[in-house]
Amino acid sequence: MNFKKFSTILAVSLTLAAPAFAGPIDRPECIAPAKPGGGFDLTCRVAQSGLKAQMEKPIQVTFMPGGVGAVAINLFNTTRTDDDNAIVAFSSGSLLNMATGKYGEWKESDVRFLASVGADFGAIVVPEDSRFKSLDDLMAAAEKDLKSIVVGAGGSIGSQDWMKAALLLGSRQLSPRDMRYVAFDGGGESIAALLGGSIEVYMGDVGELVSHVGEGKLRILAVMSPERIGAPFADIPTAIELGYDAEWTILRGFYMGKNVSDEAYNAWVEAFEAAYETEEFATIQKEKGLLPLNMAGAELNASILERVAKMRDIARGAGLID
Amino acid sequence: MIDRIFAGAVLLVALAYVVLAFTVIGAPFQYDPLGPESWPRIIGSLAVLCCAALIIRPEIEDFSASKQTLLRLAILVGMLCAYAFLFKPLGFIISTTMFSFALSKFLGARVKPAGLFAVSAGVGGYVLCKMILDLNLPSGILKQFL
Amino acid sequence: MDTIINGLGAGFAVAFDPFNLMLVLVGCFAGTLIGALPGLGPINGVAILLPIAYGLGLPAESAIILLAGIYYGAEYGGRISSILLNVPGDAGAVFTTLDGNPMAKKGEAGRALSLSALASFFGGTFAVILMSLFGPLLASYAVTFSPSDYVALMVFAFASLASLVGSNAVKTLLAALLGLMLASIGIDANTGVARYTFGIPDILAGIDFLVVVIGLFGMAELIHLVEQQVSGKMKALKIDKSFVSWADMVNVKWAIVRSSFIGFFIGILPGTGASVASAVAYGTEKRISDNNGTFGKGDPRGLAAPEAANNAAAGGAMVPMLTLGIPGSGTTAILLGAFLLFNITPGPAMFTQHPEVAWGLIASMYIGNVALLIINLPLVGIFARMLTIPQKYLTPLIAVLAFIGVYSVVSNPHDLYMIIGLGVMGWLLRKLDFPLAPVILGFVLGGLFEDNLRRALSISAGDWSILVNSPDSIVLYGLAIIVALVPVFLRKKRAKV
Repeated sequence: MNFKKFSTILAVSLTLAAPAFAGPIDRPECIAPAKPGGGFDLTCRVAQSGLKAQMEKPIQVTFMPGGVGAVAINLFNTTRTDDDNAIVAFSSGSLLNMATGKYGEWKESDVRFLASVGADFGAIVVPEDSRFKSLDDLMAAAEKDLKSIVVGAGGSIGSQDWMKAALLLGSRQLSPRDMRYVAFDGGGESIAALLGGSIEVYMGDVGELVSHVGEGKLRILAVMSPERIGAPFADIPTAIELGYDAEWTILRGFYMGKNVSDEAYNAWVEAFEAAYETEEFATIQKEKGLLPLNMAGAELNASILERVAKMRDIARGAGLID
Repeated sequence: MIDRIFAGAVLLVALAYVVLAFTVIGAPFQYDPLGPESWPRIIGSLAVLCCAALIIRPEIEDFSASKQTLLRLAILVGMLCAYAFLFKPLGFIISTTMFSFALSKFLGARVKPAGLFAVSAGVGGYVLCKMILDLNLPSGILKQFL
Repeated sequence: MDTIINGLGAGFAVAFDPFNLMLVLVGCFAGTLIGALPGLGPINGVAILLPIAYGLGLPAESAIILLAGIYYGAEYGGRISSILLNVPGDAGAVFTTLDGNPMAKKGEAGRALSLSALASFFGGTFAVILMSLFGPLLASYAVTFSPSDYVALMVFAFASLASLVGSNAVKTLLAALLGLMLASIGIDANTGVARYTFGIPDILAGIDFLVVVIGLFGMAELIHLVEQQVSGKMKALKIDKSFVSWADMVNVKWAIVRSSFIGFFIGILPGTGASVASAVAYGTEKRISDNNGTFGKGDPRGLAAPEAANNAAAGGAMVPMLTLGIPGSGTTAILLGAFLLFNITPGPAMFTQHPEVAWGLIASMYIGNVALLIINLPLVGIFARMLTIPQKYLTPLIAVLAFIGVYSVVSNPHDLYMIIGLGVMGWLLRKLDFPLAPVILGFVLGGLFEDNLRRALSISAGDWSILVNSPDSIVLYGLAIIVALVPVFLRKKRAKV
């Protein structure tokens, strides 16, 4: 550890030690807007164990299922808009719902984005013996006859999985409405369909493919991350470096109500930033199958607004929303 | 008669279901020829036909339950709703104790055993399910003490 | 063959380690308890106890063995409340109520519990044997099962279930349609369009299967019980000391064999699980053996069939998960997560890289089945005594258990009202002689049928001939016709004799 890093940590922990411990966060709570056991539960667990050292009291996890997060965002826009203690888990799926109006009147401007706890990235997958040996093969075939390729993924039209396909086609001005797309119930069924030959291309996520790398059955043509990611995916090119402007980051993080005090918001941001610097946080991220993507406060907010705007563009382009 | 009333009520629901399937439901675009509306149209229409058949040829004439029984069942449903309403705000222990006491009393238990049973259901259930099995149950107003 | 024998040998060495043996027993016992709570099945049991198992800092093979014990135990436990209280513990146990509860009402709770434990044992063991012999082969077959094949499977399922038609065909059909209509609520899986949600966020994701089962069966039973008590129709149950006999086992042997096979086959398919397996097994068995109309009135074969099938399906679901890393059910998805947590990647390589885990797990399934039988048989008497709890206490207890089950899984107070509403509906349907099983079937099979049909048509770009394009589908359509016609044929034959 170099001196600069050390001193930042020291400074951060000193500043934290004074105001935050006595300050606005006296009963920290993480809302997982889903049933126990899902991705939001996992997001909250990362905060719970990752922020142990930064919080005076352990973070309580509360479940608030309903409408893939709609129930929670409703509550935080009606009664708990200024709850300094509560953070709510979100994912890119929640952002997509905001972008396409699935949360009714509530949009990305109705909450304050706080911090991320990690990410996953899209991946373009084919069987090992596929006629497509590279992303270029696939895209060339798509430009020639889009209808000849059967694409499958784990979600419906307008879902995150569908967005990945739409983005990829969009990089060559192809319309997602013209493809042949099959919606399965989650990644497991999609991979089965890919191996069994029902579909030719699967728009998956890097995280779920860990168990298939090196098995000699699936080939990842490209990952949809901004930069290359670490082992075991280090050899796989990104779609961007192959010349296709298709990046899909599955972000996991937290938002707060829009009327929380700046004092509390900043205390949370500092707590997360302090945690990002620790080894333990990185270990917890890895254990939960997340790739590092640590952003908090204004930086995160800006990045999210940009993302949501892009999602809205795709959805509008495909005619999903007006 | 009772069959007719019931079938009539279901018919109204099924009609509303079909009407929605033929008017409101639809996707901006779809990859399969059926879309989200075809299946509800088929099953809804069949349900309408079934209800009509039941109205024409009903089977059961009378409801084999006295007014008093029905009244008591309504009270039961009321108790269940109260239990559901209080479950989260009051927490598992208190709401369960209250509900168990009320229902066992309602079914003829004496005060003392009913109270004993109710407290052990509330506290025992919480200890077993929340503390030992780590299930997610609300702590409610006792949050500070647990 | 040699690798299998060597692997199993090594596996048993791992599983017979006293510590691991103890974990199997602990897991089976905890699983049985969780499974016995209405609403909590294998999925929730494993999901809930996974963090605990991880937190204990056990070595990988021990933790996985513990979780597998819980999985199996919960599958066993689900039958207890089905038989005793007519309240299914989870989706796979709905069909256990149909003949299991009438047996208990006849004063044969002990017989029903012990018989179903044996049926579960045979179903589970059958699945493990097939898995260790043909695992990889079966898995590579299972993935070729395409959406159009699933459509054919659903047609077969509906055909075998035509046997459930009660006294009034219109009412049976309407009941099934109500289930189908309930299942259509929520976001459409193909286009993402919301259907019948009326802007209520709580039902946007659809109605949880668990909520329907607990409401329609559990709460309806509760209302029914109270109705009998307040109207003075309640019959006191005899003290029950019955037990399964050798003659029983001879009577149900073919039911168990057939149902284990059906259950295992449906279990290995990634898109279907224990609920479909037990439904099809029950329907087929009724179709084949119900010559005197005793099914639904406490026929031991009607109890053995779904129990053998759901345990065989639980084993079958492990096949694609272990050999290909593809989870075939909610529970195996969670188990897969557990493997990854321990840095073990399920798939063919697991058998070479971590043989102690792979074969240790398989060996522990053999042991787990035996352990469950040993745990369950002596407890039959104790469980059966549950029925001697006075109704004035048992009835509130059912409500409390149902609330625990729903809330701990779904955690949405809104669903508590939902089960009450569905309970009132279920009670009304029962009162009016509507059969309830078709409602559940419509709910389970309807969504699968619609989704897969539309998937198949998406793949073929609208060409309907895809539905009869594979040998698998054609065989299944053939079987559907046979199952539909067998009873007619048998009746004719009997008429001749």
